[in-house]
Amino acid sequence: MKERINGILSEVKTKIAAAASESELQSVKSAYIGKQGALSLLMKELPGLAAELRPQIGSVLNQAKNQVTELVESKRTELKLKASEVSPDFDCSVPGILPRQGGLHPITQMCYDLNDTFRSMGFEIFQEDDITSELYAFDKLNFPQNHPARESMDTYWLEGHDSGATCEKLCLRPHLTGGSVRYMQTHKPPYRFVYPGRVYRNETTDAHHERAFFQYEALIVDKDITFTSGKVMIKSILSKVFGTDVPVRMRSGFFPFVEPGFEIDMQCQVCGGKGCSVCKHVGWIEVMPGGSPHPNVLRAAGLDPDEYTGFYVNIGLDRLVMMRYGVDDVRLFHSADLRFLNQFK
Amino acid sequence: MKLSLSWIRDYVAIPENMDLKKLAYDLTMSTVEVEDVEYLADRFEHMVVGVIEEIQAHPNADKLRVCKVDIGGEVKEIVCGGINLREGMRVAVSCPGAIVRWHGEGEPVVIKNSKLRGVESFGMICASDEIGLGDLFPASREAEILDLSAFEVPAGTPLAQALDMDDVLLEIDNKSMTNRPDLWGHYGIAREIGALYDLPLTQIEPYAPDAQADFKVEILDPDRCPRYIGVEMSGVEVKASPYRMQNRIWKAGMRPINALVDITNYAMLATGNPTHAFDADHITDHITVRPAADGEVLTLLNGKELKLCEDDLVIADAKEPVALAGVMGGSKDSILPDTKRVILEVANFESTGIRRTALRYDNRTEASSRYEKAIDPERCGQALSLCLQYFRELYPELKVTGYCDRYVKKLDRAEIDVNLTWLAKRLGKELANEVIRRKLELMGFDVAIDGDNMHVTAPSWRSTGDISMKDDVMEEVARMYGYDHFEATEFTTTFTGSINQKDQDLLRHIKEYLAIRCGMQEVYTYPWMSDVFVDALLPGREGVLKLSTPPAPDLSCIRSSLLPNLCEAVVKNERYFNDFSLFEEAQVFFDGNYSSPYDESESLPQQSRHIGGAFASSKKDITELFRETKGVLAYMPRYTHMESFTFRKEEKPAWADDVVWLNVFLGEERIGDMGLLAKKISMECGVKNLSVMLFELDATKLVPLKSRTNRFAHLAEYPETDYDISMLFEPDATWTDIYDAILGKKKASSLLKEAAFVDEYRGKQVPAGKKSVTIRLTIGSEEKTLTSQEIEAAAEQVMKKLRKAMGAELRTQ
Repeated sequence: MKERINGILSEVKTKIAAAASESELQSVKSAYIGKQGALSLLMKELPGLAAELRPQIGSVLNQAKNQVTELVESKRTELKLKASEVSPDFDCSVPGILPRQGGLHPITQMCYDLNDTFRSMGFEIFQEDDITSELYAFDKLNFPQNHPARESMDTYWLEGHDSGATCEKLCLRPHLTGGSVRYMQTHKPPYRFVYPGRVYRNETTDAHHERAFFQYEALIVDKDITFTSGKVMIKSILSKVFGTDVPVRMRSGFFPFVEPGFEIDMQCQVCGGKGCSVCKHVGWIEVMPGGSPHPNVLRAAGLDPDEYTGFYVNIGLDRLVMMRYGVDDVRLFHSADLRFLNQFK
Repeated sequence: MKLSLSWIRDYVAIPENMDLKKLAYDLTMSTVEVEDVEYLADRFEHMVVGVIEEIQAHPNADKLRVCKVDIGGEVKEIVCGGINLREGMRVAVSCPGAIVRWHGEGEPVVIKNSKLRGVESFGMICASDEIGLGDLFPASREAEILDLSAFEVPAGTPLAQALDMDDVLLEIDNKSMTNRPDLWGHYGIAREIGALYDLPLTQIEPYAPDAQADFKVEILDPDRCPRYIGVEMSGVEVKASPYRMQNRIWKAGMRPINALVDITNYAMLATGNPTHAFDADHITDHITVRPAADGEVLTLLNGKELKLCEDDLVIADAKEPVALAGVMGGSKDSILPDTKRVILEVANFESTGIRRTALRYDNRTEASSRYEKAIDPERCGQALSLCLQYFRELYPELKVTGYCDRYVKKLDRAEIDVNLTWLAKRLGKELANEVIRRKLELMGFDVAIDGDNMHVTAPSWRSTGDISMKDDVMEEVARMYGYDHFEATEFTTTFTGSINQKDQDLLRHIKEYLAIRCGMQEVYTYPWMSDVFVDALLPGREGVLKLSTPPAPDLSCIRSSLLPNLCEAVVKNERYFNDFSLFEEAQVFFDGNYSSPYDESESLPQQSRHIGGAFASSKKDITELFRETKGVLAYMPRYTHMESFTFRKEEKPAWADDVVWLNVFLGEERIGDMGLLAKKISMECGVKNLSVMLFELDATKLVPLKSRTNRFAHLAEYPETDYDISMLFEPDATWTDIYDAILGKKKASSLLKEAAFVDEYRGKQVPAGKKSVTIRLTIGSEEKTLTSQEIEAAAEQVMKKLRKAMGAELRTQ
């Protein structure tokens, strides 16, 4: 009898372990400890046993039944935790819900990225007014009297303030550099600052030309700076924007307010410098002008150019953002079109 | 500017095996941007000179001929519709693979063997414009085939070779050489290449005048005309110039005209100094260079009739102006078909005057664009010498009958002292004196070194403003040494200015708060406003600044408020969205409060930085939209760490609805407004279905906190319970009154922690003339857990207070 009980017990253990679902488990349970179950049927054979064996076998049988019940229960819990809360045909391919709308303009984002980089290098952030005078837009920047940019075709002059001496003529600033002179006039050297801002040119617009666009100027001025310090500044900007070290080259360029002046090119990030349609097959893309502030500009700022020098770069934020995202029309930035802006969250 | 390499090679011995990519790179890095290096022969690939041996009628077409053409070693049949075909004619044949443009128009196509009206044709016999030579060999009528019979080369000669097109064109970005007048010609670039690679330069030998006859030139304004050379010559006539000259003029991007004109253009393209020729028989008496008289009339070569002013400089004879100096000749007295005697002008004009005149009449020319860069007067000698060389070559009968060189204002070569210690410091690199000297001497500088001082004399062609101070000399040394050879150097000075820029941080915090926490989208709009929105939103145009030359007539006002452009943005987006919010941060301008913060002479208008926003929705009701807008403003100080502001109704903004608006105050100062865009104005703006809530703050008035100031509050030790009550109030009862009544000076219950507005209801469910307000009370104690009886008792106290103070009744339904 004992052997039969043990035999049934080991059989039931294997079956419980193998049960893969609640219903299988239930059928195992009723097959052994249900009313017509194997162990229950053995119980009915007890009266036919010798009287002295009955108590012993009876307790063994009861223990066996209890053990089966326990095993079934623990298996049931196990099965329950293993199973999913939902039906197996739950569709995981339904799209996620867009987090709350809202975002900063992509140019603001780029500007903040650059601010963070420059701040970590000890640069101050400077901001100035949009309306300036011809004195600061041109005179103090060493622009000759007859420079083409002074003419109304390039600059937005204000009505009622568009004639007279240069200090009386007011315009929407055509570039930021005049503001840098204001900074230098009101601060003590050495300087290390960046100056983001919007500038305005009276131009015909197309996909690559805008009447209002963003510049980001960075300037260091100190006693012992060589023009090669500028390379460090440029590399910092570009590696921040593109996330990797971008090879740059400085080549001769001319701007009235710098001496020497440079055109700064970066290696084309589309082809890696091999040459492609984006870089017109030269492998380099012109990204910004730069150079040492012209002695006349330093003088205008009240500094002795024999003592001080520095390095300046002026980067077109619009162009940089266009390269970052592949935007092909600069006019989108001022369109206030949410279909465009929603893409830069 | 386009330059021919073979022409440059006339003046500098560039080695045959020079890597042209490197040449272009070196020029780009150190001098000017070379935009393109084009192997000209590539354009004429698969094109040869063919000789027509036989012409037959086409069996199926009247206008076509079938030509047997010897293309060198083999004779091919080519179908052609040219009207000037004849046997023995040399023609340009495009073989299969060549690229042409049909009739000189449209996209380039590749030539293939084909059948034309049933007859096999090998390639094509070309007209000049079909192979891009329309300017060099202008056709006199349509369907005229390019006749190359004058080129005595055997059949099969590659076309590029026959036409001297085995050349390389360098295309240089004009913008990159505005400051280098010396480079505006083949000789100038040759000189620069010579300096870069230390190559010998061919000098243009000066012209030795053989007659200083009684020819007179008078200069009345020496400042604007430092030099004028006039040469009177007889024995010339209008004829074609030699092919070599035409070819070069064409390569440089100009059109050959006739020998007399071509010589002057050739000299300009070679030396950079413009020259001009007058018909001497049309010049009365002598040449005078003088300012124009006001109102004087001159008809230019291009037919433009100008009414001149005193600021224009003219070349005149005894009667009237014959040319606009440095810009363009007059139509009456320049080279004419029957010209037999000429007066050659080789002159120097002051740059800014030429520029003013050219711009005044919108008449910029090859000559004016060179003069306005400031050419040195010494260069006249080179141009004169070249002109005379070619006049003599082309007209063996030529006689110089008069010559006059009026050089009234000599150019001083620029002299600069450079301290060598300073130079080394600025370069960040110590270069040997001999290296510096050599680099400068190669460019034509004279250098004398005495101890730490280097005395530099710039060549005449760099002395018209280009080189004027020691920084210029430093640049010359650095670029010739090669910018690539200077390593990047770190800078070390430490700064603290950047550590705590609270104003900058505040602005950024506000923008990030609006975008990220409040779900608004930042937009940029232009500083000018459209008249429609100005008239709709602003109380008037007083104080609004305007542009003299606006982008469009209705965009002359520049913003005094951000709201007109924000409303325009709302209207634009209504097409695609029905529930959205925008904000903008930008400067606004006010015609008043002028000040001089930087330079006493300057006077700048008031400019402040504003932040404006718009909430637009056709889905939300006014209350919801209002609460959303107010919430964004109300929580802004807390989230962005600035001094808190309050809302009051003091003065309704012009654009706002009569009821739904608030002024925003910081202390006693009004720093902004918010409110619902009035229905009438909304319609004027073109809004269709949206309700629009606006706000605008003067960000320059906001005060950042030194640091965060909110205090830590201990966590409640015993549970607190929310308990909602709904009560009926008079319709004009405000939430402020309700809140004050229960949590003001005297708390309605000592167990009341907070009271919050849940909602407000008017309608069928409440008695007429009443409104129901649901209030959420937070009830709790610091000493124990409250029983439900105690909580209800506290709520009862609140209700009692409201009954007493405001006549409120418990809502029963």
